Amino acid sequence: MVNDAGQIYTIEGIAAGVLMIVTAYLVVSTTTVLTPQDVHIIDMQLQQLGNDALAMMDTPDQYGSTTIRSYSPLTVMVMDYNHNAFGYQFLSYVNNTTNIAGTGYDRLNYYANISYLNDTFQIQTVPFGGQPYYRENAVKVTRWVYLPANSSPNIAYPGMRSDTNQSVLLEVLLWRE
Amino acid sequence: MARMNEDAQWIVMLGFIISIILVFLALIVNQSALVGKTTSESVLDFSKSEIQDVRAEIIEYNWNGTLNQPSLQHDLLNISLEQKGAIIWYEFNQTEDYIFIHYNDGTTEYNEMVRNP
Repeated sequence: MVNDAGQIYTIEGIAAGVLMIVTAYLVVSTTTVLTPQDVHIIDMQLQQLGNDALAMMDTPDQYGSTTIRSYSPLTVMVMDYNHNAFGYQFLSYVNNTTNIAGTGYDRLNYYANISYLNDTFQIQTVPFGGQPYYRENAVKVTRWVYLPANSSPNIAYPGMRSDTNQSVLLEVLLWRE
Repeated sequence: MARMNEDAQWIVMLGFIISIILVFLALIVNQSALVGKTTSESVLDFSKSEIQDVRAEIIEYNWNGTLNQPSLQHDLLNISLEQKGAIIWYEFNQTEDYIFIHYNDGTTEYNEMVRNP
């Protein structure tokens, strides 16, 4: 060392440099992580809500009897292709809330599909009501629906097997407007 | 600062301490964001509702007395492979009196034996 003066200057300089680099790194990494966090939590809540609503609708009053009450409301709606009743009940379940100021209703919307195995054992998909989907941030929830053998299936299901009980898949795309 | 003037050392020291505390606070904020992301991601990835749904459907077959109908097995298998990319299979063993349920979507595998259905 030529001269041992200015040691505090050196320490100060090193400390300030480290501080600036660490702060810059933290600021950059924090801002990039924050954005996807919200999206994931909202997706999770939507998915939970949609699955719960479909499970409620797919619960019959009683099992194993031969009356119409042994089929869930969802089974009856799908069997009759009653997509208006489905939309009304589903939206009233998922939008039902007490903590939104003003209307007291949430702004969730949906688009639904039904997939089934037709009489040539191909998978056929028909729409089951809802609003057109314009690339909002949506989640998909699904539910198996049991359909009893029906000698004259609804005209809305082309090629549906008429002689046998079957399970069809109801897929609902759910988003907040 | 050094040599020229020895005043205001308290302020300089507090400045250092506060900036170091700020670094640690930023670290905590960073971690909390990650925790929220990974938690909700793992909830989304785990197919809890799908398994509950399949199980409910198969138990409903049992209550309806249609457990032996082979086309129902193929409904579940074919539609779920095509639409959801998951394998669903079940078998009813009449002599041993149990239902075997299998579900696999690539990340989650689930097997269950329901005795005396």
